[in-house]
Amino acid sequence: MASQIIREWLGINSFAPATQTKLFELLGKLNQENVNSLTILVMGKGGVGKSSTVNSLIGERAVSISPFQSEGSRAVMVSRSRAGFTLNIIDTPGLIEGGYINDMALNNIKNFLLNKTIDVLLYVDRLDAYRVDNLDREVVKTITDTFGKGIWNRALVVLTHAQLSPPDGLPYDEFVSKRSEALLKAVRLGAGLRKQEVKGSTIPVVLVENSGRCNKNENDEKVLPNGTAWIPHVVQTITEVFLGGSKSIFVDQKVIDGPNPNARGKFLIPVLVALQYFFVVKPIERRIRIDSARESRPSWEMRDTSSRKY
Amino acid sequence: MENGDGIVSGSDAGGRKVEVFEEKVVKDSNGVRDDVEEEVFEEAVGTGAVGDSPRAEDFEEAIEVLDDAGKSKEEEEEEEEEEESVENGGGQVENAVGGDGVDGGAGTRGVDVEELNASKGLADEELVGALEDAIKDGSEDGADGQVAVLTGENPVDQVQCENHDSKSNGLMNDELLDAANQGIDGDGEIPMLTNMDEVDVTPVEVAENEKSEKDKLDNSDLEVVPTGEKLENEGANLDSTRVTEFNMEDLKEAGTDDQDKRIVDLVDTSVGTTIKLEGDKGVELQERKMEPEHTECESTDSKDAMFLTEARQVHNKIEELRATFTCTDAEDQDSIKLKSASSVLDSEHDVETSELKDIPSEQQLSGVEPVASEMAGSAFCRSPTTDEKEKVQAGDTDSRSENIKDDEPTRADEVARVVSNNGSVPEEPEKRENNHVEKGSNRMNRVQEAQHTPAHGSSGNSTNTTPIPARPAGLGRAAPLLEPVPRAIQQPRVNGTVSHAQNQQIDDPVNGEVEESDETREKLQMIRVKFLRLAHRLGQTPHNVVVAQVLYRLGLAEQLHGRSGGRVGAFSFDRASAMAEQLEASGNEPLDFSCTIMVLGKSGVGKSATINSIFDEVKFNTDAFQMGTKKVQDVVGTVQGIKVRVIDTPGLLPSWSDQRQNEKILLAAKRFIKKTPPDIVLYLDRLDMQSRDSSDMPLLRTITEIFGATIWFNAIVVLTHAASAPPEGPNGAPSSYDIFVTQRSHVVQQAIRQAAGDMRLMNPISLVENHSACRTNRAGQRVLPNGQVWKPHLLLLSFASKILAEANALLKLQDSPPGRTFAPRSRAPPLPFLLSSLLVSKPQLKLPEDQFGDEDGADDDLDESSDSEDESEFDELPPFKRLTKAQVEILSKAQKKAYFDELEYREKLFMKKQLKEEKKRRKFMKKMAAAAKDLPTDYGETVEEESASAASVPVAMPDLPLPASFDSDNPTHRYRYLDSSNQWLVRPVLETHGWDHDVGYEGINAERLFVLNGNIPLSFSGQVTKDKKDANVQMELASSVKHGEGKASSVGLEMQTVGKDLAYTFRGDTRFSNFRKNKASAGGSVTLLGDALSVGLKIEDKFIPHKRFQLVMIGGAMTARGDVAYGGSLEAQLRDKDHPLGRSLSTLGLSVMDWHGDLAIGGNLQTQIPVGRHTNLIARANLNNRGAGQVSIRLNSSEQLQIALIGLIPLLRKLFTYPE
Repeated sequence: MASQIIREWLGINSFAPATQTKLFELLGKLNQENVNSLTILVMGKGGVGKSSTVNSLIGERAVSISPFQSEGSRAVMVSRSRAGFTLNIIDTPGLIEGGYINDMALNNIKNFLLNKTIDVLLYVDRLDAYRVDNLDREVVKTITDTFGKGIWNRALVVLTHAQLSPPDGLPYDEFVSKRSEALLKAVRLGAGLRKQEVKGSTIPVVLVENSGRCNKNENDEKVLPNGTAWIPHVVQTITEVFLGGSKSIFVDQKVIDGPNPNARGKFLIPVLVALQYFFVVKPIERRIRIDSARESRPSWEMRDTSSRKY
Repeated sequence: MENGDGIVSGSDAGGRKVEVFEEKVVKDSNGVRDDVEEEVFEEAVGTGAVGDSPRAEDFEEAIEVLDDAGKSKEEEEEEEEEEESVENGGGQVENAVGGDGVDGGAGTRGVDVEELNASKGLADEELVGALEDAIKDGSEDGADGQVAVLTGENPVDQVQCENHDSKSNGLMNDELLDAANQGIDGDGEIPMLTNMDEVDVTPVEVAENEKSEKDKLDNSDLEVVPTGEKLENEGANLDSTRVTEFNMEDLKEAGTDDQDKRIVDLVDTSVGTTIKLEGDKGVELQERKMEPEHTECESTDSKDAMFLTEARQVHNKIEELRATFTCTDAEDQDSIKLKSASSVLDSEHDVETSELKDIPSEQQLSGVEPVASEMAGSAFCRSPTTDEKEKVQAGDTDSRSENIKDDEPTRADEVARVVSNNGSVPEEPEKRENNHVEKGSNRMNRVQEAQHTPAHGSSGNSTNTTPIPARPAGLGRAAPLLEPVPRAIQQPRVNGTVSHAQNQQIDDPVNGEVEESDETREKLQMIRVKFLRLAHRLGQTPHNVVVAQVLYRLGLAEQLHGRSGGRVGAFSFDRASAMAEQLEASGNEPLDFSCTIMVLGKSGVGKSATINSIFDEVKFNTDAFQMGTKKVQDVVGTVQGIKVRVIDTPGLLPSWSDQRQNEKILLAAKRFIKKTPPDIVLYLDRLDMQSRDSSDMPLLRTITEIFGATIWFNAIVVLTHAASAPPEGPNGAPSSYDIFVTQRSHVVQQAIRQAAGDMRLMNPISLVENHSACRTNRAGQRVLPNGQVWKPHLLLLSFASKILAEANALLKLQDSPPGRTFAPRSRAPPLPFLLSSLLVSKPQLKLPEDQFGDEDGADDDLDESSDSEDESEFDELPPFKRLTKAQVEILSKAQKKAYFDELEYREKLFMKKQLKEEKKRRKFMKKMAAAAKDLPTDYGETVEEESASAASVPVAMPDLPLPASFDSDNPTHRYRYLDSSNQWLVRPVLETHGWDHDVGYEGINAERLFVLNGNIPLSFSGQVTKDKKDANVQMELASSVKHGEGKASSVGLEMQTVGKDLAYTFRGDTRFSNFRKNKASAGGSVTLLGDALSVGLKIEDKFIPHKRFQLVMIGGAMTARGDVAYGGSLEAQLRDKDHPLGRSLSTLGLSVMDWHGDLAIGGNLQTQIPVGRHTNLIARANLNNRGAGQVSIRLNSSEQLQIALIGLIPLLRKLFTYPE
């Protein structure tokens, strides 16, 4: 993982000129804020298009993707720098394996993230999956358990495969809003967030279409069916979230180990001991004493003691 | 022709190919020749293997090749134009090429039409150009004609079939070229050759193409491809035969090949073709006149399949067949006459029955119908097509005959005849055609032409045979060649009556044989018709891979079933097809078919939406974001007039934590389907969701748990959202749709395999797209990106499985009564086993009083007689005092020896005395018992009381032995038990050789001896053991009665598990001791194992010529279902001088067993000789007639302890050699 060399961000040149200008604008904005690096963590279920999204954002084929094979269980960080600004994107393996959270993958990710700061989390799912099920909730829960609820203040929900014609003749925007609503609800439930806990009341949702078949507008920008050029939009949202003011998540050993179960409720120990002493030990002792005092001695013992006197 | 050089290489390649094929053919035929029918199945397997290689080729390649093929055709066309032998042919050929564009399965319809046209043109061209020009010009033109035929045929048949045909043709051409080099100028040939080569390549690929298009029926493809190859082989062979005379053998092989193939394919149950082939064989025999009869005989079989109503057709066919035969003999003028005679007969037939004409034509049509049906089913279209096909054939054959002529001077005569048009075989047809045309009745014309073709076939029975095979794959459509049937119509008149008589003869046997299986066939035929109708309604042609596959399976089932009852009707497919056509055309015949489909799948994959799509209306509300379906519900509707009931289920959830929920849903579904189980289950998943992390596993497992793994055997995997674009591959380029589908299917199939735990599962895949924006074709049907119209395909798959289930049920039902002959073979009772258990001589059961007699009565007698001599020997001995051990030590060696000898002698005498006393006591007991019977009963009671009281205190039975190695878990101590006074002896059965730490207690054993009526012993013993794998029961009830002096009968009833069945055996035997030294017994047994009853008989003779020597001979036979096993054994025993005491014993045993002509002889010899006082030598040897034997020598000694040291040798050796 340390082998990641920070390379010049050449991929940005592959974007359409219009996109490039917008990106540079955003970078400039970040520079104004004295930010010179941005780390994005990409997480989600397997096969939803995490790696493709990373590639799309970087503008080059930085992470290998294959439609039918699992990418293995290793996280990869892609670092690109441009004009003194470094963009780190951490691609992670799918978190689900056989209907369960894949603990090995999760551990790999955690270890990979050790001593890194996560500025933004991209939670990736598909737009064209209609249903939200427990698996989604579990993934969200796992992320929350790992990084804490605070991560969701710096999170974006990314919906891939955005280029679709919605079923049942729904208008595109309605479909998107319904889908994002359903997903956000799952996120809230999974993360155990109350509505007000999320800043700005909602986690921003962005749409992504990684396919080469993505439509383009007159400026040769990749656009969504609703006309937005999505790459600038995503980057913009990322910057907004980043600049949103909440704290970045620094992943240290503590985060990785998770809350130490041994430390939980430690302060109760003296109290419990005291309680035991006063309410358990004492009464028992008292009762023993009473009991022994009340004891009637058998006659032969009495006789023994008495005979010994002679 | 211009570019000779480049092409020559191609021709070489072609030649090589041909060789290869021939080799293959030879191989196949070798295996098959002996017993074609027997080996059908194996053959089929073999062909399957052969088919593999082509199949492995890439799909894309196939497409490319296809293009090539198109080009090649164009080239041909060009060449033809150049040669100018054909004027109008070119244009039509172009049509064909255009049609050939073969844009996937979807466009087939249009293509067919065009092709038909093309073929028509070609046919014309052939008739005009090929026949006349070719004849005059020689082989060059002939070759052309063939090429034309090639192109023509291709389009007409189903893609695969065509290709095969073309292939074979091409091969033929090649050969012709090779062979006919002399008489022909090379130019013309070479171009053809190249064409041929290219064409050769195409068929396989095209087949694959189709295959890939319809992913489902891999199997069928497999079969198809091999057939194609075979066809080629045949073609090659046949050609060679024609070209060169030495080919009789080849022909035969080809013939056998054909048979195999056909049998394998079964689809059309092409009896007719088989017959023809056999006819070929007959040709080989060179008894040409005999042939026709031959064929007829076989044709009777074919008739079996036919309905009585269609008897007329049958006649025609037979005649036609004969005609073909005669044609084959075309070389012989005699045969020609014969043919003419038959044709006359045929014509008579025609005239007599007005319907006849219609029928034959219909028949022809039936073959063509599938194609025709595609073309809006207009009768008009149909008839032309048939004509053309026929013509094409005719042309084909003609040209070939010409070739032959060129090659062989001998046949030149024929050719000459042809040219001169003087009554030569080939010409006749033409003439007739013309005549008919003049008459102006189109139909007649067509029919006649068709008939001609067979006649033409004369030069080549081969021609007929080759094309036919093309169809076997079940793909349908009878190759046009089959059609010749109607030919009977016209034809000569000379010997007409004779042939007629023959026909009748033929008919009679047919009817007799067939009757029993007729009903089944009929039903099967109805099923076939039903399926064809279904396919028709769904707009699928019999060329459809699914349809073909189902037909093939039906045919296979029929074949297997009808194996005993003769061959399956060759034309059942045609008839079915015709009938289906009629029924569909009439439109008022209701289709008795309904199908229940259950839909399962993850939530949100589109189950309800799919159902809505199937019915084309909103049956269930769907919602993209909510669980649309809350409970299991069904909906009934009609699709294309077919009643379909669909059960919708709520969506399943993929997470492990949701499996409880899933179970609930599935259990609800299970309850729901209890009354009306679904015929097919659709498992839905999304095509565009890459569940590569096996996240569906939990769900699939749950389904398997609830419904059992069998659910997957009837499941179709449906991938929804099929219109979604394939994802981009690792290199960024989007993968092709088909690869995408294939990969995704593979993933799902693999997951299902895992969940079901059966690696052989191969669920068919169907694609579905419910999106309203899905592309549609002109008819408004939704079309997938690969051009497939998914709905009919899905329905067809579902219906197919139902149809197959129906057929299965039918054949199974039938299996029990008439299938009897078939069943036994599969489950023949293990006669040798039963026989050997019968042959074991069982000792007579005795009353408890007699129990202790060590041998039977006769022995006692013998002993007694000898007893008197040393009556009181022991008593007479001087007193003797045993020495203590210390005293023995002091003795000298000689003294010691003397002492021990003395001791031994005394021991022996003492034992003898004891024996004698024992015997006396027993005799006394017997007398007492006899007396007791006379006395009032109370005495008997007291006796019983006494005996009962004797053992009244329970005694602990000896412990079971501890295992040799230390094992703290050894359970033996748990099984101590008491020997109580209870008459029932119940013991545990301990398996000591089980696994470590295993509880070796595996069964229980109970025994009891009863006495009935005071003198009939009845013993019961039973044992039940059960280990992890299987349970065994063994029970025996035996009794014996003595009646009269020296006669005793015993009866026994045994029950034991043999394999998975219980075998009940009832046996009885009677023993006569007619002489002192001879005892004979005879017995029999009846065993019921499964549903097989075996009966056995045995004779046993025990001969005791001397006290020390006895001989036992047993012979027996066991029969079951016409299967007999004979066995015998001989056992001789030589005992020690003083038998009960001495240890020396020699036995010689011989046993013979004959079963299925398999003679097994085994002998064994065993000797036990005491060496010295404390040493025993045991030698044992056995040998059987397979050359397997064993010799063992064992030395037991309690004297020479040092011998045991020998055992250390290997150990020491190991120790010392190891360091090195």
